[in-house]
Amino acid sequence: MTTAQILSQAREEKRTVLTEIEAKQILGEAGINCTRTVLAASKEEAVSLGEEIGYPIVLKVSSVDISHKSDAGGVKVNLGSREEVEKAYDDIMTSCLAYAPEANIEGVAVQGMAKMGTEIIMGMINDGSFGPVVMFGLGGVLVEVLKDVSFRIVPIDKNDAIDMTTEIQGRKLLEGYRGQDPADVECLRDILVKLSDFVNATPGIEEIDMNPVFAYKDGAVVVDARIILSS
Amino acid sequence: MMDLFFKPKSVAIIGASGKPGKLGYVIVNNIANSDFSGDVYPVNPKSDEILGYKVYRSVTEIPGDVDLVITVLPTPKLTVATVEECAKKGVKAVIIESAGFAEMGGDGKMYQQQIVDITKKNDIRVMGPNCSGIVSRDIVTSIYPINKKVPRGNVVLIGQSGLLAAGMAADIVENESLNIKQVCSIGNKCDVSENDLLEYFGAQDDVDVISMYLETVSDGRNLTRIAKKVAAEKPVIFLSGGRTEAGAKAAMSHTGSIASNAKIVEAAAKQTGMIMADDFTELKDFAKVFSTQPLPKGNRIAVITLAGSVGVNVSDLCASHGLELPKLTTETTEKLKDMFDTPVANPVDLFFSVTKIGFTKTLETTFPDAFRDDNIDAAVIILAGFEYTQEAVQKKIIQKIVKEIGKPVVICMIVGYNKYKNVIMDEMGKELPVFPSLISGVKALSKLCEYGIRQQKKS
Repeated sequence: MTTAQILSQAREEKRTVLTEIEAKQILGEAGINCTRTVLAASKEEAVSLGEEIGYPIVLKVSSVDISHKSDAGGVKVNLGSREEVEKAYDDIMTSCLAYAPEANIEGVAVQGMAKMGTEIIMGMINDGSFGPVVMFGLGGVLVEVLKDVSFRIVPIDKNDAIDMTTEIQGRKLLEGYRGQDPADVECLRDILVKLSDFVNATPGIEEIDMNPVFAYKDGAVVVDARIILSS
Repeated sequence: MMDLFFKPKSVAIIGASGKPGKLGYVIVNNIANSDFSGDVYPVNPKSDEILGYKVYRSVTEIPGDVDLVITVLPTPKLTVATVEECAKKGVKAVIIESAGFAEMGGDGKMYQQQIVDITKKNDIRVMGPNCSGIVSRDIVTSIYPINKKVPRGNVVLIGQSGLLAAGMAADIVENESLNIKQVCSIGNKCDVSENDLLEYFGAQDDVDVISMYLETVSDGRNLTRIAKKVAAEKPVIFLSGGRTEAGAKAAMSHTGSIASNAKIVEAAAKQTGMIMADDFTELKDFAKVFSTQPLPKGNRIAVITLAGSVGVNVSDLCASHGLELPKLTTETTEKLKDMFDTPVANPVDLFFSVTKIGFTKTLETTFPDAFRDDNIDAAVIILAGFEYTQEAVQKKIIQKIVKEIGKPVVICMIVGYNKYKNVIMDEMGKELPVFPSLISGVKALSKLCEYGIRQQKKS
């Protein structure tokens, strides 16, 4: 489905939360590289997708009613075989239904395990006064504890993106440390500008999380994404 | 349209009073004391004459056109009725100074909405309510007495605070501490907002610096757009009140939970190139530096001192504010070798020179020789309030050197807070940025350098 179709379908269904698969579809269309993520509506489908994508894989519950997937026990990573996938599928269903008995679960999102990179968070929020605002920061503990992030008002240009990536306290971590590869900052800036361009051209989006984004020496990929529409 | 507020040809004061002390009196008196040369129409149903002006029963009774109406009425209800009359009269600009509107909630909010409805329908621009309007040479609408002539300066202050416009303006005018052109208090901003004023003053060639205090941002997206344009041409100093770390809204995303009003406003300032001030004093101090000093080409500072210890402290402060203290060139060192017992360093310790040729002469010759150095973009001069500094202050030596060399300075006062303090702080402070502490001077200079470097990059 195209972005326009996904958005209009969500509106018709009167929901503001998009699934991870929908979110990645939309971001992909905006030119942002996301991990390939496909819906499996059954255990069998999950297994055959796993074989196709290649192990190890990740399963995540796909439900518009469950937005905190990990809290619901809806995420299983590093699944290396058919047996592990089958067990993980059952565990996810049991756990999520216990967490949210009324939830409408369409299946699981199947994706390959992305190679670990420098963990980045990017996102967007629609501020009542300033309109859409984009955010950049280092992911994981640094965002949780230190809130080491930068913001800019949409639309941003290349120079704003440069400022965003150099303004954070932990910018040195992007240059590579203790033998770790440097992050492809050029690519991250490009994603920020694309995110800004996209929300600038697409009214009705309230919040976006791309968390985490893994940044490598060459390129970066959005591993998890969430989009919330305006109600 | 904005010209009607700042350059009206006729003005009516509704709620004018003949009793000294009453707000309606202060406003008429302020207008009388300003250079306003147009028609003044006090409106009050119970008076015949106020301060020599003929009084009218209502705005509709006034024979000629009225460019600007100022209302200072006891109740919001009366204000609404008056705005209706202004619409009938064909008035296009109104300053509502009375309080009791949206800031009170409840009925006040309703009355403010009624004003918005009437004025929108009739193409009337409104400043306020709950404001004190304008302080300028050509017109003063403030409810606080302004007893001296307002300068025709190059600085504009915009404030969402009665105190700023009223108290601060009176203070600045009285002490001649800032070369202001206009001070505007915009109160509840039911119509005219910071964006209108930023755009208006941004386009005026004789406004060099805009300093702005906001408690709320009316339309951040537009502010970002306008400020970006204006700040590229002239410094916009910005103090944002009510900056909280509370989330901007109840959010479902991680991004939303981190985004706070404070962070977003700060981001907008960085993005647009506005200069953030942290308090009211800085709002004024930064404006002083920007309006009196040339822009530096870089951040390389010479610290001019007579005491080593002070030099050390300033060096540390410079480092923590992103300023560099480079070595002077060998040419300068050579030229000044007779004036220093050891080769000249930075901080430039003038003590030896002063003992040799005296303070005034040192400031006239040794200081400019060091300041002219190619490695130096700006200087921090530390002055003590002693007898021996007086001559140099009276002769305005530093002013002359800044003008001749074309590089900026800030003056920091240290010790000697005695009878000479006022001479330096107040007298010299009329023309130069003089600070009562080292840190305030260094911080202000760092802002000037930051802006100077940015402008330099663009050209």
